[in-house]
This record gives sequence, C-alpha cells and structure tokens, in this order.
Amino acid sequence: MTQFFQQFINGLSIGSVYALMAVGYSLVYSIMNFSNFSHGGVIMFGAYFGYFLLTIYKLPFSVAFIGAALLTALMAVVIERVAYTPLRERKAPYLYFIISAMGASIFLENIIIATIGPTFRTYPEIFSKTPFKLGVLSVGRLDVLMFVTSAICLALLIYIIEYTKIGKAIRATAYNIKASALMGVNTNVIIIIVFALGGFLAGIAGVMFGMKYTVYPQIGAITLKSFIAAVFGGLGSLQGAVVGSILLGIIETFTAGYLSSQYRDLIAFALLIGVLVVRPMGLMGKATEDKA
Amino acid sequence: MSILQLNNITKRFGGLTAVGNVDFKVQKNSITGLIGPNGAGKTTIFNLITGVYKLSEGTILFNDKDITNKETYMVAESGITRTFQNIRLFKKLSVYENILTACHRNVDYSILDALLMLPKYRKEEKLLKEQADELLEIMGLTARKELVANNLPYGLQRRLEIARALASRPQLLLLDEPAAGMNPDETEQLMLLIDEIRKKFNLTVLIIEHHMDLIMGICDNILVLNFGCKLAEGTPSEIQSNPKVIEAYLGVEG
Amino acid sequence: MNTYIEGILILAGINLMAVLGLSLLTGFTGLFSFGHAGFMAIGGYTSAMLSVKFNCPFIPAVLAGGLVASFFSMIIGKLTLNLKGDYFCIATLGFGEAIRLILDNVQYFGGARGWPGIPNSTNIWNVLAFNIIAVLFLANLIRSRHGRNLIAIREEELASQVIGINVFKHKMISLMISAAYAGIAGGLMAHYMTFLQPKMFSLVKSTELTIIVIFGGLGSISGSVLGALILTALPEFLRSVSQWRLVFYGLAVIFIMISRPEGLMGGYELTPSSLKKLLIRFKNRSQGKVKGLEGGNK
Repeated sequence: MTQFFQQFINGLSIGSVYALMAVGYSLVYSIMNFSNFSHGGVIMFGAYFGYFLLTIYKLPFSVAFIGAALLTALMAVVIERVAYTPLRERKAPYLYFIISAMGASIFLENIIIATIGPTFRTYPEIFSKTPFKLGVLSVGRLDVLMFVTSAICLALLIYIIEYTKIGKAIRATAYNIKASALMGVNTNVIIIIVFALGGFLAGIAGVMFGMKYTVYPQIGAITLKSFIAAVFGGLGSLQGAVVGSILLGIIETFTAGYLSSQYRDLIAFALLIGVLVVRPMGLMGKATEDKA
Repeated sequence: MSILQLNNITKRFGGLTAVGNVDFKVQKNSITGLIGPNGAGKTTIFNLITGVYKLSEGTILFNDKDITNKETYMVAESGITRTFQNIRLFKKLSVYENILTACHRNVDYSILDALLMLPKYRKEEKLLKEQADELLEIMGLTARKELVANNLPYGLQRRLEIARALASRPQLLLLDEPAAGMNPDETEQLMLLIDEIRKKFNLTVLIIEHHMDLIMGICDNILVLNFGCKLAEGTPSEIQSNPKVIEAYLGVEG
Repeated sequence: MNTYIEGILILAGINLMAVLGLSLLTGFTGLFSFGHAGFMAIGGYTSAMLSVKFNCPFIPAVLAGGLVASFFSMIIGKLTLNLKGDYFCIATLGFGEAIRLILDNVQYFGGARGWPGIPNSTNIWNVLAFNIIAVLFLANLIRSRHGRNLIAIREEELASQVIGINVFKHKMISLMISAAYAGIAGGLMAHYMTFLQPKMFSLVKSTELTIIVIFGGLGSISGSVLGALILTALPEFLRSVSQWRLVFYGLAVIFIMISRPEGLMGGYELTPSSLKKLLIRFKNRSQGKVKGLEGGNK
C-alpha cells in the first residue's frame, strides 16, 4: 500500500508538469487550430535558459526560475511572429502552419546542437536529495516543488482564462476568431498573449524537467506525451489537457513501477490508441459540427 | 409527384432550435424557392438534406428512399448536390480540372486500371474529358477553361460552382444564394441559366435567394421560413399576397 | 561507376521511394505524417526477416515489407482519418515512436543493438527500377479520377463530399499506398545497409522525408525527385558543416512556408509537354510578342 501511494504521488508530480506543457499546446490549438510542434523546442530552450542563468550568471534559484520562464515566453512570441504571423496574414492553409512549426522545431533543436553541443548537462543541486518524510511515505523535495509549482501555475492560468477580461477575449477568440475580431477583440494581441502564456508555462516545465532529468537538445521530445495527453483529455479543451496529463503521469508511473520501465513510454501510445478507439473526442471534448 | 420529402425535420444546436418541425415536399422537375429573413434556418435545411449536419428529429426521403443522416458523399451519390453560400471551389485548380474532378462518378475504372494505364482507363478518361468539355460549353466557360478558379470574376465563380455540381449529374440541385453579390443584369442571366439547365438536365432545383425578382420570376413553388419554422408555402402569387409573409418581411402595420 | 557516387545515388533512390509515398499523402492529399520512418522500419524489418529467416528472394521480400507497412497504416487510418482535427498527425507521431520503442525490445530482431547480416541485394539497378515504376504508378494515379479526388480533398474537403467523393475512403487509399512506398524503401534500405537498428527510423528520419517533399514542392512528383537527389547528395558534400545542416534545413522550411510555399517546382511538373510550353514561351518572349498561356482568354 505504501508503494501504491508513493507511486501515486510521483505520478501526480510528473503528470502536473505534463499538464503545464499540454495547456500551452492546447491554448494555441484552440485558437489557431493547428498542432504547434515547435512547443517541444521552446520547452528545451526553457531548460537551457534556467541552466545558464543558474550556472553562468549564478542567479538565485527563484530569480533564475522566473527569468527562464520569461525568456521562454519571449521566445515563443518571437517564433509566432517569425514563423506563423506571415502565414496568418496570408490566410495560408493549415498544412503550412504545421510545416512551419516543424521547421521551427528542427531549427531550435539543432541550433543548440551546433552551438552549445549535444552533451547532457546536469543542473546544479538546489534541493537536497533527502526526501520529505510524511509518515511512512517519503517524497522527493523536487517532486513536491514540481507539483506545487505546477498547481499554482495552472490555477493562475485557469483564473486568467475564466475570470479576467483577457481570458474572456481568449475564450471568445477560441470560439470564433473572425467574429471576435469583428466584435473589436484585437486577435493579434490575443495570439501574442496566448503564445506568451504557453511559453511561460513551457519555461517552467523546461526548468523542472531539466532539474529532474538532465538538459539535452532532444529533451523537447517529451512534449509528445503532452500531445497524447491533450488528445486523451479532448483536443482543444484546457481542462481536458490538465486531467489527461495527470492521468497519463499516474498511469505511466504505475506502469514503470509495477510492470517495467521499458513499457513506460509505450503505455502512452497504447493509451492513445485506446482513446481513439473508444472515445475519440477525449474525456472532456465535445463532438462538434462544422458550419458549412 | 414529390422528389424530396422533409418530414417534421428539426435541428437543435444546444438550446437553440435552428429548424423546428419543418414539413415540406419538393415536386419533381420544379424550381422551388426557399426564402425567409436572415437566420431563418434556410442554409441549415440545406445542411440537413446534404448530411453536413445530423438531424435532431424527423426524416428526409429522396425518391421515396430514406436518406436521413446519410454521409454527405452518399447523399451526393443518391443524386443530390449543392452549391455554397460562400463559394467553395477547388481554388487552385483550373476551371477545367474543377469540372473534370466532379465528373468522377460517371465512369468506374479502378485504381489498378489507372496505375497500369489499362485500355479501360484510357477509354473512360477520354469519355470524362468529352463530358467536361461539353459541360464547359453549355455553361459558357470554354474560353476560360485553363484559368485558375480563384482568378475568375466573382459571377463566373458562382457559375463554375453550378457547373461543377451539374458534372456529378444530380437529379436535385440545391443552390444557396446563387445570385449573392451579382448586379441585376447578372441576376437576370443567372435566372435564364437556371431555367435552361433545369430543362436540359431534367433537374429539380431548390433555391435559397434574397433577390425576390429572381425567386418570384422562376419558382413554381415557394417555402417561407421564419425563426426555423414554416411560415407559408405556395405559388409565388400566393406567397406575395400572404399576410403572414408580409408581416415577417415588413413588420406589423400601424 | 565511382562507388562513392553510386552509394549516394542508391541512398537518394531509397529516400526517393519513401518521399514519393509521402508526396502522395502530404503533397497531393494534404495529410501530414510524422510516422513514415515507422512504416520504413516495418518494411525494413519484415523484408529482412523474410530474407534472413525464411530465405525469401529479394524482390518478394521487399514487396511484402511494403504490404505489411500498408496494413499497419490502415489501422492508424481507421482510427483517425474520419476525425476532425490533428488526430491523424499526433497518432502518426506516436506510432513512429512506438514502433521504434517496440523494436528496441524485440530480441528476435536484435533489439536496440541492431541486426547485422542481412544479405546485400540492393544495388543501383534494382533501386532505379523500383523508382521508375514508383514514379510511373504515382504519375498515372495522380492523373486518374482517383488522383483528382485526392487533390480535391486537399483543396476543399466539404466540396469534395458534395460531389460524391468518399473522403475517408480516398484518404485511406492515399495513406495505404503511401505507407507501402515507405515500406518498400525500408526493405531496400535493409538490403543495402545489411544492418538494421531501430534508431535509424527515428522522428528525425520522418522529418527529413517531409522536408524533402516540401523542398521539392507540395504536389509535384518531379519536385520530389529533384528534392530527394539534391537533399541526399548535398549533406554528403557538406560533411564539414554537417552539424549546421539541420539548422539550415529548419530555417529553410520556415522560409519556404512564409515566402515560397510552392517549393522548388511550385506544383508544376517537368514533363516533355511542359518543357515544350516553356520553350515556346521563351521563344515568343524573345520575339517580343508576349503570349502568356492564359493571354487569349480576356
């Protein structure tokens, strides 16, 4: 039983970081209707920003953490301006957006390999490795940080989306971008805000992954998990992305714990197939009808 | 004899009833008009007939066969095709390719015939090209055959969309505001064209339009919708003198 | 022939085989796949298994590889092709990675360490023959009613349905042919390298194939051919800057999308008749009477 709870908490913490990535992806998807495959590259940059702010500039952890997230947000916005804005202005077909996103992803990953090198880098030790004791359970300090930080960020995001004026504009734009523009919503600004929000969360996720594992140019590949989680929860639904991510994190941890760690990555794909067979619209998605 | 029968069709989007309990028959070989104020549910009815939307309630019969909630391509196969309010051409293809593509069901060579360029493929492909040329001629588009669809003037784009619909040899053609954005002269031409193709192709036409001259001029029968419900039906003169229709369009007097 | 050049040509031919398949799917049908390396892997491992373990001759083994890859693509297609949204895209991405992970763990095929000792049967001539047939088949398909339906789906899905095109079925046909091409490419590769390893079929490989299609021009077979030749040969000659190669690729892809999305060939084909047209245009221009191809219409 102890092991069960232990795994559960680990799964919760990893799932919550998946959620940070998945909401960024879902936000963009809900507004621009394409899978932003450059999200992985952005997360990877977040991990490197955090690493360099800590090691070269020797900033205090909290400053480096926030700094990395802000830089990553900026990065996401720059990518939007360079790779997507011209396409939006031209009303280019959806395929071009995906391809452009892929180009951005290739560029981001390889510019790091070409300049900094493909080596794995380890974050300096910030938290002691000795875990918290909660009765019989022992919980890693980093896992606690991951969970708490993600929970706060997600709560803030949901607050912004549901209760602020900007959030209202984002929801309206997601619902119908043309109509929102006609109603006086500056959709250009909304898109920038969405990329900045997604980038900020990606930066936080990147730093935490960097601390948990190591930093390397391919770390962005982990976003595949968040794409799957987003489908799992319902493509385009924020709540779905969060729920899907946390479930995926827990299922993965249990698979690794009770079966074999080799199956940990495969289970995500099995889950994807399962969802597509049983309930393609995901846990919280709705079947929609296009307007002709 | 009726070709299309709408039996109490209803479509709800969440809490909103876009079309409520509409009961209507379209007579074979007629030109039937579908009119009503904006948001009355006219295009929704087209979407329901062609299977773009699924019905909430009711049934649709075409030639006495049930086509309720069939996939769009199946509805097309059974003989119903349509145009769109916001033109949907294959924009980057030429006028000719637009038509040729739409002829695809008039022959039946298989993929294998095509891959190996077997005689059947050559023969039927030649047939398709003749059909496409013939249709271009009828629709007066031969001179612009090679032009990319997107570069056509607006009026001709509408014309091409009708031509493309005809290429699939429908029995029932649904036209969604074919005269939108046309000047009176073009509208007049379009009217003549619709009447001509109806005779030539032995068609039944169901048409949504706001140009009352066009509707009153060519329709045999008219269905008036308001707020998703049937307001009236009858011949153009009956409709023009129907007090309920006048009220819906002009408001209550006094 | 110089063996170095020959080697590059064989590699280009193998890439081309997969690129032609992807060109059908992405360029002509408008579907985007991240899983073609996975189909190559299936084709490669199937054909290698047939020739190593069952002494099957080369050509049937390679063709069987294509068939099995096609079968797998059908499963993905059945699940995702009738869904609106990026489901297909994400499913292919997951599929490609899953195939690699599974192969990593199948000791029968040597697992992650790889599988040596596959007969060296691929040579420049059979690659050439495969490619010629593949190009002819693709060109014939594209000019048929089935091919036109695929292009129609790429251009305007709803309008395609309204003229009676079964969109799901046609997407499926496109996917299955596309995966078969990739599977055959995988088989050719297995019998050229004489060695297979799951990491040869990573996401990077899928991405590379897509880049070639885009570079050559979406919706152009001759563009894909040129693209495969240039982009396979170029890195070989630019070994010294190889780590910058993908950086430039990434930038080039974005640049192509925002400035010249039609790629190298711009949806046009290099055929004898199109060359003749071009020639006539040049001649007319030099004689000072510009008669554009569409000039007589107004």
